[in-house]
Amino acid sequence: MKFTRRWLLEHWQGDLDAEAIGRRLTKAGLEVAAITRLDKGLEHVQAGRLLEVGRHPDADRLTLCRVLVGQEELSIVCGARNHKVGDMVAVAREGALLPNGMKIGKSKIRGVLSQGMLASATELGLATSSEGILILPEETVPGIPIAQWLGRDDDLFELELTPNRGDCLGVRGIARELAALTGRPLRPLTPKVATTDTAPPQILIEHATGCPRYAGRIIRNVTITASPPWLKNRLEAVGLRSINTVVDITNFILLDLNQPMHAFDLGRLALPLVVRGAFAGERLTTLDGTEHTLEPEHLLIADTRQPLALAGIMGGMETGVTESTTDLLLEAAYFDPIMVTRTGRKLGINSDSRYRFERGTDPLGLSLAMERATELILSLCGGEAGPVTLVESGAWTPREPILLRHERINRLAGLRLFNTEMETMLSGLGCEKCLLDGQTLFRPPSHRHDLVLEEDLLEEIVRLHGYDNVTPVLPRVETKPAEYDARETLSPILKRRMAALGYLETINYSFIGKSLQQRFDPAIAPEELVNPISEEMAVLRTSLTPGLLEAARRNLSRGNLNLRLFETGHVFLPGQGHMVERERLAGLITGDLNHRAWHTPTRTVDFFDLKGDLEQLVANMGCGGLVFEPGGPEFLHPGQKAVFHPQDLNRPIGWIGRLHPEQQQLLDPAQPVFMFEFDMDDLHPHLAASGGTDLALSRFPALERDFAFMVDQEVGAGPFMAAMAKIEPELIQEVRLFDVYQGGTLPEGKKSFAIHMVFRSAERTLTDLEAQELCTRIVETAQNQFHAQQR
Amino acid sequence: MNMRDQLEALNAKTLEELHQATSAAALEEVRVRFLGKKGTLTHLLRGLKEVPDAERPAIGTLANTLKETFNNVLAQRMNDLKHQELQARLAREAIDVTLPGRRPHAGGLHPVSRALTEITDIFLQMGFPAMSGPEVETDWHNFEALNIPADHPAREMHDTFYLSPGADGGRRVLRTHTSPVQIRVMESYKPPLRVIVPGKVYRCDSDLTHTPMFHQVEGFMVDRDVHFGQLMGLLETFLRRFFERRLPVRFRPSFFPFTEPSAEVDMGCLFCEGSGCRICKGTGWLEVLGSGLIHPNVLGNVGIDKEVFSGFAFGMGVERLAMLKYGIGDLRTFYENDVRFLTRHAGGKDI
Repeated sequence: MKFTRRWLLEHWQGDLDAEAIGRRLTKAGLEVAAITRLDKGLEHVQAGRLLEVGRHPDADRLTLCRVLVGQEELSIVCGARNHKVGDMVAVAREGALLPNGMKIGKSKIRGVLSQGMLASATELGLATSSEGILILPEETVPGIPIAQWLGRDDDLFELELTPNRGDCLGVRGIARELAALTGRPLRPLTPKVATTDTAPPQILIEHATGCPRYAGRIIRNVTITASPPWLKNRLEAVGLRSINTVVDITNFILLDLNQPMHAFDLGRLALPLVVRGAFAGERLTTLDGTEHTLEPEHLLIADTRQPLALAGIMGGMETGVTESTTDLLLEAAYFDPIMVTRTGRKLGINSDSRYRFERGTDPLGLSLAMERATELILSLCGGEAGPVTLVESGAWTPREPILLRHERINRLAGLRLFNTEMETMLSGLGCEKCLLDGQTLFRPPSHRHDLVLEEDLLEEIVRLHGYDNVTPVLPRVETKPAEYDARETLSPILKRRMAALGYLETINYSFIGKSLQQRFDPAIAPEELVNPISEEMAVLRTSLTPGLLEAARRNLSRGNLNLRLFETGHVFLPGQGHMVERERLAGLITGDLNHRAWHTPTRTVDFFDLKGDLEQLVANMGCGGLVFEPGGPEFLHPGQKAVFHPQDLNRPIGWIGRLHPEQQQLLDPAQPVFMFEFDMDDLHPHLAASGGTDLALSRFPALERDFAFMVDQEVGAGPFMAAMAKIEPELIQEVRLFDVYQGGTLPEGKKSFAIHMVFRSAERTLTDLEAQELCTRIVETAQNQFHAQQR
Repeated sequence: MNMRDQLEALNAKTLEELHQATSAAALEEVRVRFLGKKGTLTHLLRGLKEVPDAERPAIGTLANTLKETFNNVLAQRMNDLKHQELQARLAREAIDVTLPGRRPHAGGLHPVSRALTEITDIFLQMGFPAMSGPEVETDWHNFEALNIPADHPAREMHDTFYLSPGADGGRRVLRTHTSPVQIRVMESYKPPLRVIVPGKVYRCDSDLTHTPMFHQVEGFMVDRDVHFGQLMGLLETFLRRFFERRLPVRFRPSFFPFTEPSAEVDMGCLFCEGSGCRICKGTGWLEVLGSGLIHPNVLGNVGIDKEVFSGFAFGMGVERLAMLKYGIGDLRTFYENDVRFLTRHAGGKDI
């Protein structure tokens, strides 16, 4: 919403400067986004009368002029030829910085002093091209600032109005607000129209809810021309293009009184006018030249032959006013906000009119707008106005009064206002006080659709009192912890652990391209967005991997080659009948284990670097460690992938592995990448607050033994070690694989595990004999279960 | 030369030798030569029996004194030498302490996570635990229950991402704010309630200052006699704690469908302290929070009696707060995940 200060002052008897007005409005919730001077660049330009136009002593093409500016006479050299003695001209005086960037100072031109410049329309930013200097109308007062003559000695306000304050979409509405805020009253607006004694137009409302009130008037014998400067300037100042008197006047009323109006060319109508829902398939070409096919939910103004306009949104092309129009039918109506919203949204038409009806115009504002518009038309276009037809469908009834409990208002606001203070504020806003059974009620004015509940009155009272007059205090509460458990998610803990393990957290978009999703999860049909921003953000992710890998790809392409990344977040999976969201964690490493450094030789990361971090991530969290088995998704290297699960769960919660070389090829540089991903929601139930069972620290000495076993290549180290540990869990305290060896003297297809074991009892010192027995059982178990040979 | 002179000469010579010895072994050698079974002193004292009886005690005393002196000097020399040897070894072991150290991998949280953690920690201290909710929401939770009916112009403030209707035919959206969790919590628990809701939200908007996904923290409180002044006090306290400055905080009337009265919260610009700069667009104020008393229609929608309870709610954009606190200039860098950016913003004294 844009308006100027002078425009505002036509409605309001205040005298605040622009900045003060801006502060008051912003403080009251009408946010002023910007205030700009309209005369920028014209500050030192005044009208002057040419007293003398003489020859420049040293230059044939220049004139030396004497100009009267106010009481002063200036001597100015001028290169133009379109001026003569007595002309009124625009004088740019010393200190001016014109809109085209030209700076005016005292100067000597060919040896003669020039106290300024006679400006052209182009130099003043009034035209894109012009010939000679600007000659002003003869009646212009010498000395008057050019900005004032142009109506530009004014401040332009830009308001960012919230959707609830549709009543402030007209300048008079803002004036009304300022009147309530400052106590300085509105100026009365009482248009005077002499009407002829002719028949009023016949108007029928068929769609009662869509159009509660409709006013129409016929004006005959008008002459439509270009608008006078004041009207033109007003509209242009707020960014509207001037078209002709009638269109400009309806636009002016829209901006001034927040009442959208429409003028039909009466000669093209077949009355009566009907406000009705469209027939299915009916067509209408609107003023912007677009043809629309209509449906019954669209509200129309029609005559006996055809649709004329989309009610409250845009007029029809065929019946609009043109320069040749002589007779008008002028419309001012109150259309239902929801009906206008639906029609506008469906047809995709935005207009100033739609914007206002959607937010709710004043149902009782029709008459004032009609009278004011008629007054202006008669004065600018001539003609005779007939009487007004005002039709009411019965759908609008006066507002219900709202109960005001002063004590409750103070309690909710944290204020201690007197009853009379509150009531004065509400009355100032146009609310009408009623008393009923000893209770105080206030009936809101018809233009305030946002006032419905007592809380709405509360907001008005706190707003007018000033939010900054409320004392901030901290709530006093019981220290009882909440019923609900905030530790419902693992995410913060695992995120910190990942960071401690040296991983950087990434956050990637929850939506990815469908082809990318299919590359990684071909078996899962993703949720598709109905209105995606782009093809690359079209479906909800079913895995964190594509996003994390994309982050890695972007880094690699920027030369960041050593990466340790992770992400936590939701994935969106099809469930039984409905979609489910799961919280996952994914990690990725690639490049060198360390930066090349003087102290440590580096090497490329491998599977076990990542696996170790994953094991460490959940160490001592009570899940007894993770169990890994070969397997995993297709996009991983078939020989370097595993799925894993906590000890006491028999289905995998995630996978780990090396990216398949075919996927790796899509990176640049195409270096090996290792990743894991698992479901945190699956892991959570298997964790324990204690972090594991208590450990009795044995006071007795430990015995240590090393073994070497030769096994078949296919034997997995994991199951082998697990079997060893299980032989006598009370006594075997540690099983550590310290070497894996193959080739050399070993036969083909064999490998050797070197295992270090620690035996210790919590109750006694183990004897050599006991240790010997344990060793025997270990060797037997290895032999029986794994065909292992001790070496 | 009599015995006394011989002893003294021997002593002088031996002490001289002690002083000249440069290693522990050499000292030991001197000691053996002097005091050993075949040592010079031992040898000399064998001649004691030839000393007249009258002089013998004095010579004996002298010999003992000499021995004691010798041992003292020896110990002293031994210490000196050990010290020297230690010094020499330490000198040999000197390293270039300016060589870079072996640093473990530099991990860290994304700056959005850091800000979320800081925000939720402050509110937790004030008795607001964190809760979460789904990111795909029903129309009811995201809009209707929050007093945003289908044809309300406020819907246009939210550029919503839509999904195909759910199994029950209901419209589903990517949540446009964290406020639906307010509804979910109020549907499941009875007042008094104090909750903070950090999370991802989505709007169909992408340019220099908007990303289609971003983060919000929603908070609310419902209890008896909750009032507007408390909302102001809580948010003022939060902002001053989060930014670690005693900033001016301003509440400005605004409109949100789910609060009444509603307030935008501005704080004094961190960069120009109110005099006006590029960051605050010359206003001296930064808009950082939206807030208000929970709208009675919202309380009604979840079956809370507005005559008994009242509540306030507030919401903030995490990226904006992170940018202001950590000095991040470009919103879009958050989602590029360049490790140089992530490393630069991974730490800070608060996390």
